Amino acid sequence: MKRRLSVVFLLLIGTLTYALAAERQVEGVVISSEDKLPLIGASVYVTAEDLKKNGNNQSTIGVITDIDGKFSISIPDGITRFYCSYVGYDVVEIKLIPGKKQYDITLQPSAHMLDAVVVTGYQTVERRKLTAAVSKIDISDQMVGAAKSIDQALTGQIAGLSVSNISGAPGAPAKIRIRGTSSLNGTQDPLWVLDGIPLEGTNIPSMEVLKDIDNVGQTAIAGLNPADIDNITVLKDAAATAIYGARAANGVIVITTKKGKVGKPVINFSSKLTYSPKLNIDRLNLLNSEEKVGLELDLLESGYPYRETKGEVYRIISGLGELQNFKDGGWNALSSNAQGAINRLKATNTDWSDILFRDAFTQEYNLSLSGGSEKATYYTSFGYMKENGNIPNVSAERLNLVMKTSYKVNSILKVGASMFANRRKNSTYLPDDRGLTNPIYYSRLANPYFTPYDANGNYNYDVDVEDDTDMDFGLNLFEERKNTSNETTINGLSSIFDAELRFDDRFKITTQLGLQLDKTSIEKIAEEESYVMRTEKKNHRNNGVTYLPEGGFHKANENSLSQLTWKAMGEYRDTYNDIHEFEVMVGTEIRKTWEEKLYSAGYGFDRKTLTTKPIIFPEESQAFKLHEKAHVENAYVSAFSTLSYSLLNRYTLGGSIRFDGSDLFGVDKKYRYLPLYSVSGLWRISQEPFMANAKWIDNLVVRASYGLQGNIDKNTSPYLLGNYRIENILPGGSEDMIDVSGAPNKKLRWEKTHSVNAGFDFAVLNQAINLSVDYYYRKGVDLIGTQMLPLETGFEMLTVNWASMQNQGVEVALSTRNIHTKNFMWTTNFNFAYNNNKILKEALREDALEPGREGYPVGALFALKTAGLDEEGYPMFEGKDGKAVSAMEFFKLQEWGFGATDLTARERRELYTYVGTADCPYTGGFNNTFTYKAFELGVNFSFDFGGKVRSQPTYSIVDFDKGRNTNRDILNRWTPENTETIFPVLLSQNERLDEYMWYSNQNEIYRNLDIWIRDLNYVRLQNIRLGYTLPTNFSRKLGMTSATIAIEGRNLLVFGSSYKNYLDPETMSNAYATPAPKSVTLSLNLNF
Amino acid sequence: MRKIYIMLLMSSVVLLTACDMLDIQPTGKVIPQTLAEYRALIATAYKTVPDARGLACFRSDELYVKDDSWEQDRYGKIECWDDFSAPGQTTAFEWKNFYSIMFTVNYTIEERESINEGSEEDIDQLIGECYLLRAYMHFLLVNLYGQPYTRPGALETTAVPLKLNSDINEILKKNTVAQIYEAVIADINEAEKLINKESWEQKFSYRFTTLSVKALRARVYLYMGQWDNAYQAAEAILAEKNTLEDFNAETYTLPNNYQSVENITALERGMSSNYTQAAVLSEALASLYKEGDLRLDAYFKAADKNGYRFSQKSGKDDFRCSFRVGEMYLNSAEAAAQSDKLPQARTRLLELMQKRYTPEAYTVKATAVNAMTKEALIQEILDERARELAFEGHRWFDLRRTTRPRIEKVLKGGTYVLEQDDSRYTIQIPREAIAANPELSN
Repeated sequence: MKRRLSVVFLLLIGTLTYALAAERQVEGVVISSEDKLPLIGASVYVTAEDLKKNGNNQSTIGVITDIDGKFSISIPDGITRFYCSYVGYDVVEIKLIPGKKQYDITLQPSAHMLDAVVVTGYQTVERRKLTAAVSKIDISDQMVGAAKSIDQALTGQIAGLSVSNISGAPGAPAKIRIRGTSSLNGTQDPLWVLDGIPLEGTNIPSMEVLKDIDNVGQTAIAGLNPADIDNITVLKDAAATAIYGARAANGVIVITTKKGKVGKPVINFSSKLTYSPKLNIDRLNLLNSEEKVGLELDLLESGYPYRETKGEVYRIISGLGELQNFKDGGWNALSSNAQGAINRLKATNTDWSDILFRDAFTQEYNLSLSGGSEKATYYTSFGYMKENGNIPNVSAERLNLVMKTSYKVNSILKVGASMFANRRKNSTYLPDDRGLTNPIYYSRLANPYFTPYDANGNYNYDVDVEDDTDMDFGLNLFEERKNTSNETTINGLSSIFDAELRFDDRFKITTQLGLQLDKTSIEKIAEEESYVMRTEKKNHRNNGVTYLPEGGFHKANENSLSQLTWKAMGEYRDTYNDIHEFEVMVGTEIRKTWEEKLYSAGYGFDRKTLTTKPIIFPEESQAFKLHEKAHVENAYVSAFSTLSYSLLNRYTLGGSIRFDGSDLFGVDKKYRYLPLYSVSGLWRISQEPFMANAKWIDNLVVRASYGLQGNIDKNTSPYLLGNYRIENILPGGSEDMIDVSGAPNKKLRWEKTHSVNAGFDFAVLNQAINLSVDYYYRKGVDLIGTQMLPLETGFEMLTVNWASMQNQGVEVALSTRNIHTKNFMWTTNFNFAYNNNKILKEALREDALEPGREGYPVGALFALKTAGLDEEGYPMFEGKDGKAVSAMEFFKLQEWGFGATDLTARERRELYTYVGTADCPYTGGFNNTFTYKAFELGVNFSFDFGGKVRSQPTYSIVDFDKGRNTNRDILNRWTPENTETIFPVLLSQNERLDEYMWYSNQNEIYRNLDIWIRDLNYVRLQNIRLGYTLPTNFSRKLGMTSATIAIEGRNLLVFGSSYKNYLDPETMSNAYATPAPKSVTLSLNLNF
Repeated sequence: MRKIYIMLLMSSVVLLTACDMLDIQPTGKVIPQTLAEYRALIATAYKTVPDARGLACFRSDELYVKDDSWEQDRYGKIECWDDFSAPGQTTAFEWKNFYSIMFTVNYTIEERESINEGSEEDIDQLIGECYLLRAYMHFLLVNLYGQPYTRPGALETTAVPLKLNSDINEILKKNTVAQIYEAVIADINEAEKLINKESWEQKFSYRFTTLSVKALRARVYLYMGQWDNAYQAAEAILAEKNTLEDFNAETYTLPNNYQSVENITALERGMSSNYTQAAVLSEALASLYKEGDLRLDAYFKAADKNGYRFSQKSGKDDFRCSFRVGEMYLNSAEAAAQSDKLPQARTRLLELMQKRYTPEAYTVKATAVNAMTKEALIQEILDERARELAFEGHRWFDLRRTTRPRIEKVLKGGTYVLEQDDSRYTIQIPREAIAANPELSN
């Protein structure tokens, strides 16, 4: 009753005011030009000035758009225009057209972006005052597309940030470098920050051994659901990263997650279904059965001695006792029985790619609920993804749960809490120590005539593939798949609490407490009947008999990583006369990390009973550890401050300083606190009075910064550092022993990196062209490197402050709006980076046989220049005067020296020529978006140019193993009949022994021939995505505010310099790596 | 004002917590300061002592490598003195570990004054052991990689670098054989002043004692051919400790077992378990054991189906033995015979023989020994040494320091000959050592 009364009352008043001053009612909807979504909370208003002119006594009239972006406003007669504004967007003036009541307003994102802010993790900096080199990218469904993790999604998006996919296997981490490589010894991975808390466990272990590609675990990044991320800021120069201290030497990636917005609850549901077709190994150009059998016959007949007994052809012929006949008389000397068996072999072709790989299907679902009121906001999301690999049994699963809330307790206190939980489960095959159970690698080695099952469905064992003459047991990948497992389960939990005390507009205190806990459990099981277990037994023998108990093995790792970070900051800002602006921030941070590792192994394992048996070691010296535990604890304390001063909004000076202290056991106290600092400035030329006429220029800024970063090697000490262990020398005499952990270095000092950055931002024609260019120069001095020591010191090497390296480069980010009509828009985003890395000083062993990198990039490749083949098919080399010389002359081999050379190590180094770098100096991306009405087409390319790759030789010239399948290059090797080729003859012990021994003893020589160097230039069609947004009217009928459906093809095309014989240019250097898979994704995104 | 107060409060809280927080003692890490910690450091040095004497015996005539590809790959080239072809999987002679022990002991000697929580006496003992370890390591090195001291002209030839400090920036050159022996003697003298412990608990009997000093002295003088000094040193030990295992007794312990009454210092393994699996008793040595010698069956397992006789006095930590009483009898006898004290030599030799032969065989031996001329006696003592110290890592060094005879080996791969006084009686410095310090090739 009461309510009805008040409605009537309101109506009355409405009429009354209408009567007092004639007004017109205007309504409409405000949408953003970017995503065509309604803008909630945009202001629609008439200015006080206009009202005054109109003689109206009201000071302002204004309304806020509602949850659907709708507004309705009464405008007094006589007023001819009104305005609409929204944070981050340009203000629009709307002319009132007599009689028109409905106005749909589209807001353009602010051209100057002056209102926009950048989150550095410590502070929120207004972009107009931003003096540092920083790139920000909004994470949207379109941007992430079908990428499974956020690191992969960054490919080709940001200038100066290069992403390389070291493996395409599910859940594999992507290698990220910001502005090249900055350290020779330490980590080169950037620091990741989640909502202000730096994450632990984000470094990708270095992979010295290629076949370990599958043992590279996931990093904490893989636990983040891209759907929960709002935007990412990449901090590149010292001015931006100095605040993070020593850990930020490789750049910082700041992730800001989504949060609830004031308004009615928004429910978002999205799903992605991805299909990835079976890997096709045709590109590898492997021999088919006919070719392989032919090759085996040829080699056997010619008496090629290396591993003569390998290969089915040998077994057939020698099994029938016709080996000598065959060697003497060839094919025709074989009995029809043997010929028949060999011909049957030729006709058997196993399609390994068909049986080893599969079509894979990946599904992903995300559901989020967010919203809030003036008092509190909330964001809750749930995500599930299961990615299947192209290799059966290989998959990655991820479950995410995010809860974020923020409360305004009173006018000065705001608190927030968020929790990110994830559970991941990765399955893969169980690797052996030779990489043979890796299906990718095995598919290259398996003989095409070999069939994994016999006619009765029993396993056939491959005894040829083993790189050993022992043929006592074989490998069957299907048995391996059935009888082994390798599962990793990761439980990750991050929790962040923050509080903000805002006393007034000028002073606030914020504090944040972050907790991260990642627990990784790895379980590896091999049953008795598996190649891995058989190998294990072979490796643990006493007098030829294994002492491992009957049964399989069970190995478990339990690793946990936790951290606690607490930081507090006070921030004060003030303005004087609208001319001077100050901002000061002072803060402190405490961080503690714990790492626990537990390894346990049991043998004689039986899957049914889950029991193991004890190992009876024949003697103490053969015992190996079955149970190990490790514990590491570190603590850090830091204090930091930033300062910013702006004059007339045109000139800004910034500075930051940070002291990092950490527990450095055994390191001189004077190295405990390291100051890092930066100074920077900007000049906003476009704000100068003299630029006032150049209205077409939206923004023109020049920036510069200088900073000093430092690092100290925690593992080097001026004292003698030891590790305890308990051992015995005589039976029963266990006692404490201390191992010396490294040579003490009394001359240890800070490693320092000086960085300079200069750049400009330029935007014209209402943001139609937006260009940012940055130049940087970084020089690291006193870098920690290893110096080889004479062994008489008691040590092999010493870590010293010796090396020096520089990086310089240019980054260009250009975004343009090429065409913009009512229904059609085409925008492009082009980014490009050039990095030149050079090692200025590096220690090189006197006896090193390959050149040092001093004066060359960190990824420098050196090769021996060949000059074709001689008349017997042996490699010739390019001599000093450019003439082709033989290996004897080039390497100064001694006559009858059995491969001995007269060259000194130095002279041998000088034979090499620098051929290029393995890290592409030119990288970037080219991203296009076409919008036509409700359709949106995104075409994104990423590119890498100017690199080189040392590929593995396709066959060995001294010890070619005919048991394994190989690439067709072997057929094109030099033979008396085939002389026009670059591929050398198979060398034989019986001729030119000196050369044979040389290549045989110095096996790096052949690998280092320039014929194996490949160019690395490629453009990848990262993804192509067509999206369609359902008409609002239609989706509304279904109860949705918006609905988008999209189809995306990922990694469909790669073109560039030849990658013949390889599946993908990116994995050319590693035959063990899964190449990036091609995929097609159907995605759906619904908002309620 | 309030703002400043809050900021101050905040920073003081941080500073207070900070100081404690940064003092983390990493699990298992230590900077040695106390005597116990230095003892643990030296324990690692003892543990690191290489089995090089045993490996060198693959070059001698007492054994040959079992015909098995695994063992042949590892020791085949050593047994036929092939130091030049590509090493492949051949077991390398140690270099670095000798010098890593040198670093540890030199560092400990230099830090002597800063060692705390220990009695002066115990610290002296530890430092004395450091000196003796240094002496012994240099002694082993010079015998592996330097010419034999007794070879004419050898004294001025260069062998290996002497490492007498812990400086890691120094680049060393090789010292002469004479300089090295001089340093070894000097270190033994220093050790003698400091070492004060007469014995350790049996399970720690790898550690040096006052007897170890004398035992090393006896061996070093023997290797130098300084017979009087060698005789005196050996006799000094036998005055204190002279009980031998009696092979005629109902039960006895193998004399190189650390629990044997003969044990003086139970440090080196001689033949490690790997070597033991590969090494087969050679015909040359087997034929030295005559009728009634109880050692042949005590030392070696019965022939297996391939006719191989493997050692049963090695391959386990129980058989660690650097110095023992039996060796001292032989050192004494040899030094006595060489310096024309024939009766003393006969006595010591026969005392040992009595415990190793059946009574009947001993009687025959005694008669023979008593009738021997000086030359014959010396030869008998050397043969007895080969028999007594078989597979304990002595044979190669004994061949080197004495006659460096021609050795002919008929192996599966053919016949190999090491000529009389062949240059290969000195082993090449390992390639990786020369690679790290090219000075070593000069």
